Amino acid sequence: MKPLRLTLTARLTVLFTLVAASVLLGLGVLVAWATARHFVELDRIFLDDKVHLVEKLVAEAASPAALTGALDDMLDSHKGLFVQVWLGGDLIYGQQALTQNLPADSLASGRLMEWSHAGQALRGVMENLPLPAASPLASTADRRTLRVLVALDTAHHTHFLADLRKTLAAYLLVATLVSGVLGWWAARRGLAPLKAMRDRATAVTSHTLQERMPVASVPVEFAELAASLNGMLDRLQQDFQRLMDFSSDLAHELRTPLSNLLTQTQVALAQRRSADEYRDILASNAEEFERQARMVSDMLFLAKTENGIDLPHRERIQLHQEVLALFDLYEAVADEKHIRLVLEGQAEMEGDRLMMRRAISNLLSNALRHADAGSDVAVQVASNGGAVTLAVSNQGLPIAPEDIPRLFDRFYRADRSRAHPASEGAGLGLAITKAIVESHGGAIDVQSHAGQTRFTMLFDTSL
Amino acid sequence: MKILIVEDEPKTGDYLRQGLREAGFSVDLVANGVDGLHHALEGAHDLVILDVMLPGLDGWQVLQGLRRQGRQMPVLFLTARDQVEDRVKGLELGADDYLVKPFSFAELLARVRTILRRGRTSTESTTLQVADLELDLLRRRVSRAGRRIDLTAKEFGLLELLMRRQGEVLPRSLIASQVWDMNFDSDTNVIEVAVRRLRAKVDDGFDAKLIQTVRGMGYVLEMPDSP
Repeated sequence: MKPLRLTLTARLTVLFTLVAASVLLGLGVLVAWATARHFVELDRIFLDDKVHLVEKLVAEAASPAALTGALDDMLDSHKGLFVQVWLGGDLIYGQQALTQNLPADSLASGRLMEWSHAGQALRGVMENLPLPAASPLASTADRRTLRVLVALDTAHHTHFLADLRKTLAAYLLVATLVSGVLGWWAARRGLAPLKAMRDRATAVTSHTLQERMPVASVPVEFAELAASLNGMLDRLQQDFQRLMDFSSDLAHELRTPLSNLLTQTQVALAQRRSADEYRDILASNAEEFERQARMVSDMLFLAKTENGIDLPHRERIQLHQEVLALFDLYEAVADEKHIRLVLEGQAEMEGDRLMMRRAISNLLSNALRHADAGSDVAVQVASNGGAVTLAVSNQGLPIAPEDIPRLFDRFYRADRSRAHPASEGAGLGLAITKAIVESHGGAIDVQSHAGQTRFTMLFDTSL
Repeated sequence: MKILIVEDEPKTGDYLRQGLREAGFSVDLVANGVDGLHHALEGAHDLVILDVMLPGLDGWQVLQGLRRQGRQMPVLFLTARDQVEDRVKGLELGADDYLVKPFSFAELLARVRTILRRGRTSTESTTLQVADLELDLLRRRVSRAGRRIDLTAKEFGLLELLMRRQGEVLPRSLIASQVWDMNFDSDTNVIEVAVRRLRAKVDDGFDAKLIQTVRGMGYVLEMPDSP
């Protein structure tokens, strides 16, 4: 089932209303309860007062008839008041039926009791009192104990309390509605900056990636979000720019050789030529085609590696052995420039052997191309705790500082001329190396000064 | 040697047929998977070159059909997609080799010859000889016209490859993978330099230059002017 999705304003309004309702409800219950308790308190005082009055009347009564008259007078002036007087075990005043619904076990001296009788809710109190020996009613010893019960009809309280509850409920309803409306208004106002940010975000397209969130004008809580979004936009803009540069570079890289091939072929076709001339042209075309095919393969390899595919084969790689195998490959080239290939140290890591070979090969090839004749190209392999490093260094013209940040970009060549010897690649070698290193969870870095250039791969093997 | 090409792209098919015919093979060409399977089952081909993406049955299905019928002739796949899973799938189904477009014809030819040579009982001799150049595999010695030539280990390996496959044009990529076990292209002209150095040792001072560059294709070792 799809969960119900409310707008943030609606959520806040509902929450605000619920909070207001529960606070008001609590207050209402408290008021009603306190009022009811207050009434009980008042009744108690009143009933105690009447018990003492009855006691006094009993003590003063000259005869049972005189007592009945006095008690009748008292009850006449108090509507809703009931009295029972027991002398010894005899009911001498009041109706027996009054207490028939009163549970026998709740009958205790001095306790406030509640029961109902003949449709009336009664609240009463009973006291056991010693009758003074001097009283004319205390004729025998067993009539010395006096029991007085006074009860009060609480109907008027009940009515008042019901009215009070009704009023409170009505207030609660209205107040909750009002606070809901106020909550909605507050939420809307509070979220207004979010709407401003949304409007800004809506305006961002690939053409307007320079738009940014208003960090300064939004509340502090949103400023962080706005800043993060701006960071995201920065990165997207950079990546997008790189992609645009890359596509146009790619078009350019392909356009020039394609146009050369086309021109060369058409010029060749314009006249009759000797078989040797045709062969020459075709061979030259084949070389150029091969280069283009290689560039396309490299591009595809790069795209796959950069998209973070899983490494096809993971195995333990002895880095120094791979370097030595590559030295075998580059031995002849190095020899021609009288360059010595030097390996120091050893280390092992886990990864794809062919890919790592390719990455190291690109660095070696690069170092050999730029090394001074007669110098050393050194590879240092080291394993230090959880880190494995492989550094390739050569002596030669240093790389200009402004070139370093873009050195690993595709098609980037430090010398901007488009004339390159046929042996040189399409400017993808270092980009491929970087992609391979990163697909192994590593990083690559270059330092170049004082005639010494050094590329360093760093892998964290503790992961 | 009879080769069947199953390739739906007409230009590719025509050029492959022409190239392989001129290399001395007898070639049949069909343009879809159903015909491909039919021809492969009917004719006695020594090798089938299969495009993966084909109308009707795709290359995998043709190969499965062949193997199900008990045909064990070697199969070489051509594909425009270079996915590791594809490669694994092809090899699991029993393909013998796998080439990703764009490939060079020299590469294809070299691989075709490698596959066809496989399994043939070659009279394993301990010396290779081309004209007055001799290579002793056991003693790892090379001499030309009786004069000893000193070679490094890799130069020896390179010369051995060229001599074993004398008369065949070997592309740089094949040389790199066979001699140095490097299955990728280097930015640097390492193979050119290695061949140049080998040639200096083998051919300098002799009129007959045995190691020749075929422009746009690769290198070949043979007596010059031999047909």
